[in-house]
Amino acid sequence: MLRYTVNTMLVLLAFTVALTPLGAAVDFTSQIRPLLERHCYSCHGPKLAMHGLRLDFRSHAMKGGESGVPAVIAAKRTQSLLYRYIAGLEKNLRMPPAGPALPASDVELIGKWIDEGASWPESESAALEEDPKFRRGRTHWSFQPLRRASVPEVKNRAWVRNPIDAFVLAKLEQKRWQPAPSATPQQLLRRAYFDLTGLPPTLLQQQTQASLDQVVDQLLASPSYAERWARHWLDVVRYAESNGYERDGHKPQAWKYRDYVIRSFHQDKPFDRFLTEQLAGDELDEPTPETLIATGYFRLGPWDDEPADPDTDRYDQLDDILATTSQAFLGLTLACARCHNHKFEPLAAKDYYSMIAVFDGLERPRKGRTELDRPIGTRAEIEREKARDARITPLAEEIAKLKKPFQTKEKNWESKIPADVQRQVAALEAQIAALRKETPDLPRGYFLEEPSATMKPVHVLVRGKPGAHGPEVAPAVPAILVKQQPQFLPPAHTSRRRLSLAQWLASRDNPLTARVIVNRVWMWHFGEGLVRTPSDFGLMGQRPTHPELLDWLAAWFMDNGWSLKKLHKLILSSNTWRMSKRVNAEYQKEDPENRLLWRVPVKRLEAEAIRDSILAISGRLNPTMYGPSVFPPVQPQALEGSSDPDKIWKASPEEDASRRSVYVFVKRSLILPMMEVLDLCDTARSAAQRLTTSVPTQALTLFNGDFVNQQARYLAARLLQEAGSDERQQMELAYRLAFARLPHESELREMRAFLERERAQLPGENASLHALQQLARVLFNTNELVYVD
Amino acid sequence: MSINRRNFFFQAGGGFASLALHDLISRAQAAVTTPLSAKNPHFAAKAKRCVFLFMNGAPSHVDTFDPKPELTKFDGTPYKGPLTVGSNSRPVGYLMKSPFPFRQHGQSGLPISSLFPHTSAFADDLCVIRGMHTDTAAHASGCLQMNTGNVILGKPSLGSWLSYGLGTENESLPSFVVMTDPRGGPISGASNWTAGYMPAAYQGTLFRSQGAPLLDLTTPPGASEQTQRRSLDLLEKLNREHSATRPGDSELEARIQSYELAYRMQTTAADTVDLSKETAKTLEMYGIHNPLTADFGRKCLITRRLLEKGVRFIQLYSGGGHIEDTWDGHNDCITNHKLHAGETDQPIAALMTDLKRTGLWNDTLLIWGGEFGRTPTSEGVGKPGRDHNWHGFSMWLAGGGVKGGQAIGATDEIGFEAVEDRVHVSDLHATVLHLMGLDHTRLTYFYQGMNQRITGVRGEVVKKALA
Repeated sequence: MLRYTVNTMLVLLAFTVALTPLGAAVDFTSQIRPLLERHCYSCHGPKLAMHGLRLDFRSHAMKGGESGVPAVIAAKRTQSLLYRYIAGLEKNLRMPPAGPALPASDVELIGKWIDEGASWPESESAALEEDPKFRRGRTHWSFQPLRRASVPEVKNRAWVRNPIDAFVLAKLEQKRWQPAPSATPQQLLRRAYFDLTGLPPTLLQQQTQASLDQVVDQLLASPSYAERWARHWLDVVRYAESNGYERDGHKPQAWKYRDYVIRSFHQDKPFDRFLTEQLAGDELDEPTPETLIATGYFRLGPWDDEPADPDTDRYDQLDDILATTSQAFLGLTLACARCHNHKFEPLAAKDYYSMIAVFDGLERPRKGRTELDRPIGTRAEIEREKARDARITPLAEEIAKLKKPFQTKEKNWESKIPADVQRQVAALEAQIAALRKETPDLPRGYFLEEPSATMKPVHVLVRGKPGAHGPEVAPAVPAILVKQQPQFLPPAHTSRRRLSLAQWLASRDNPLTARVIVNRVWMWHFGEGLVRTPSDFGLMGQRPTHPELLDWLAAWFMDNGWSLKKLHKLILSSNTWRMSKRVNAEYQKEDPENRLLWRVPVKRLEAEAIRDSILAISGRLNPTMYGPSVFPPVQPQALEGSSDPDKIWKASPEEDASRRSVYVFVKRSLILPMMEVLDLCDTARSAAQRLTTSVPTQALTLFNGDFVNQQARYLAARLLQEAGSDERQQMELAYRLAFARLPHESELREMRAFLERERAQLPGENASLHALQQLARVLFNTNELVYVD
Repeated sequence: MSINRRNFFFQAGGGFASLALHDLISRAQAAVTTPLSAKNPHFAAKAKRCVFLFMNGAPSHVDTFDPKPELTKFDGTPYKGPLTVGSNSRPVGYLMKSPFPFRQHGQSGLPISSLFPHTSAFADDLCVIRGMHTDTAAHASGCLQMNTGNVILGKPSLGSWLSYGLGTENESLPSFVVMTDPRGGPISGASNWTAGYMPAAYQGTLFRSQGAPLLDLTTPPGASEQTQRRSLDLLEKLNREHSATRPGDSELEARIQSYELAYRMQTTAADTVDLSKETAKTLEMYGIHNPLTADFGRKCLITRRLLEKGVRFIQLYSGGGHIEDTWDGHNDCITNHKLHAGETDQPIAALMTDLKRTGLWNDTLLIWGGEFGRTPTSEGVGKPGRDHNWHGFSMWLAGGGVKGGQAIGATDEIGFEAVEDRVHVSDLHATVLHLMGLDHTRLTYFYQGMNQRITGVRGEVVKKALA
């Protein structure tokens, strides 16, 4: 209700009005509309209409919002709610609710406009320009259904091994360009190994009689494929095993999620199923241990156990989930719509909070600052364990009660409990043991829980501030992507909102999911995606270099059961993938970014592949799969930046530490220095792509660091053992292990001279070993090792 | 398409800096451009280099640069105001006077407590900002905010932004150097000097003041210096032969050159910590003869040497590990601050003396302070510890472009809350960038759908601080 009490503020304002010189009448279009636009429309415009109020139409403004009180009453400024709110006449709320108040001169201008009759031309109301972002969004390429372009005709049909080639060649032929010639068989073999497994081919594998297509099949079936490609996915889902911040607490059992991802790639789990398990594995009709562990996805982000503001922190955690999910599966930067409508994308704050409503039921099991893990099992098994614990609790309490009177500060106080009490305690303990035997402990896993099927209402938060409630929202997907919102399932054991989201993401109608994952897979093979902003398919993202090919691949992928292995196979069978990486100077000049795909781009191996390859070449790679993570040694100097240098990193035994890098513990406050310096992705957020830099500190690590020098020693010993004392054979073996080829005569000459001088440096029985070790170190540092042809 | 480096570094909106960077390396034809190649500032810079003296653990402003006579008056009386401390909203206890007398110094008469007898000599050069405030009272998020502008983990730090925006003048040293305390690093460790979502090339590099300053800097055991040189020569020959059949790929060339830079870095970085050519007088001035000041003294002297060689941003931590090993004087703020001020005062003054002597002073910016301040209250009667205070605290700036001999802003009468000329951490960052010739609203990095800035949506240059 309006209060008509005249307060001092009003008197002051009235006084100001009296002093305002009479001037020309206020013009709505040039003077008032811009003010409303600047200060009001983000909440009271077409996108949000908070509290039912819109100030972009005369009729709405005159009618008012949910309160039914007109926002503007002509000629009555002090009765017009709009004026009262902006002038600070309402005790409880000033508009805008956050940020600075309107300058007094603007408040006065609006007041004067109302005084003069609040003239508001009809044309202004009707023809309100829609936000151009939303207009563009409706025709934006990635929000449109997949277009099934027919495979284009090309002149050079002989080059076309599969439709990928036709799409690529058609573009090149438009420019009268030729695709790069095929790489050599040796190069292709090595390329296939690195692409699919992140490891060089072994000697035996180099002697294969199989065709490249057969080799690709073998590699896709190998565990090494799953280990490499799981790591790609871990980038996207911000995988790490600690929480960051002050205590950087370790996430118990988080490695089980990593193993889940490896297993999923190994068994070629259809991608629609893979995403459903991660987003809603607990909401399926029959959750399994596997699908529960999959939902660890939600819990991988950083977590501040001592947040500055708990309310904000709750939304920060939801934001981590929303940001990751929208980028990973939709290629959208929805997280930017948290405080206001997205500045560059057709995504409204309402879209953001509608997605928050999908995740809001999730809770973090914890006891104060300590995180708790959760039982893994079927619903019935979990219920049984709960019931057992409910029976154990009173028994345990009884034991505590019996013991309490005898408790002292002595260490062995329990041994001094009288015998009869001890007997009673023992009897109770036996009961507990029996219960535990009857219903053994379930294994534990690391994931969030949705403890209830009923959800609290979720509101848009004005300027992202918790407590500043705007309109309530229902769970929904971003409006720009659908003509009609998908059906959200009714609640069951949980709200099933995540399951509903997953089903929509995995539906064939969704324009983005298949495009986004197909593009990622392309990028992980070629270094660059067809869309070069792999987690941003919005207006600000780059447009695809080959839109028809992308759509064709996305449709093909869904037609083939969302099978990643089939997609790899398709890509690796193309002549496009088999092109050489050589530069064509003329094309380079005209198309330096290789947007037409006239060659396969050059990209340095990732940190993991470099480390794993060195281990493989030295012969020390431990192929053990799965299980808790390992801690390769870190020099004490590298721990000096930590607030707990003595405790932060306990190195594993060497054999464990020599496992593949995907099994190395990812600690947010201490990334293994070698991985960090070689451009490991940011672990705090979803990472779209590995960046590659060449800086001297990398050279220091790879040339002087303990790891490489140790592995060089192993390789030297291996060369001596396997190639004997013949120098040429030693060098040839080294080259075949490292580069899958024999050295050229010129290379042999250089190496021979080097070995000779090094042997002279350290004469004696270890001369050969020393010299070979130095040579091995050099080979580990070559460009040929890290830039695969 | 020609690449205008400034365009893509500073106007990344619509462009894609992360990709562009990759493109830049792969597209540069003749000269190899690295991510750290020197770049021009937005406008003429007052300072070219910056030193952040990070007093880790949060020094008490009412015991250092913000005298509060009212505290003496009401010493021992319970605090009755509305403010709380810490994330647990701990009670704030009893008002506690400063045991350290303040005196006015220099021509400006800037008041400084007895904790800093040496720094006081530079009173006319210091610009004390008394209206500082931040968003958190926890060390982890406080350090992150002071270093990266955000309480959330994983944002690029100030040094990374400067390296990204300006590059370095000497590629045979890291552009962004961090020296931690022998007792340990700050809470959250490397997150405080991370490059976040930017390429790793911009992250801070730990630099040790003793022994080998950089990780893996020394030639490994078993290899002589000749072996090292011969190995690098062989590597270059093999790499050149490899490149010869792959012409036009400058990424290969950039990596070849990084090994030569690394080799130079071995010498340059090692020279920097070799203080044998410094005079006895210099060593004494920095307090290197005195066990109390030796460590920070070495770091300050090495800082001068790094600045002389063109390092862009150097961060020195005083205090490391936890509680009393840092400025976090919960139990006994008096003893604590005597220790940590005692360790740093003379070395900092020596650094200032030396910068003035060498002429570096005019284009070097110094920042002094911690992640927040401390309460004007004790944590209990007869327990002279002070708790965390994020409502108000002091920092100082000095050197290139800074108007010295003044205190800007004020806390309330007991020093609990900043009330006049309030300066948020983001304002401080905006000011630092401004002094370094960068506009904080234009220094952006396109990431996850937004032009990211160190100041987010905040940040106003503190004009009063500018000369």
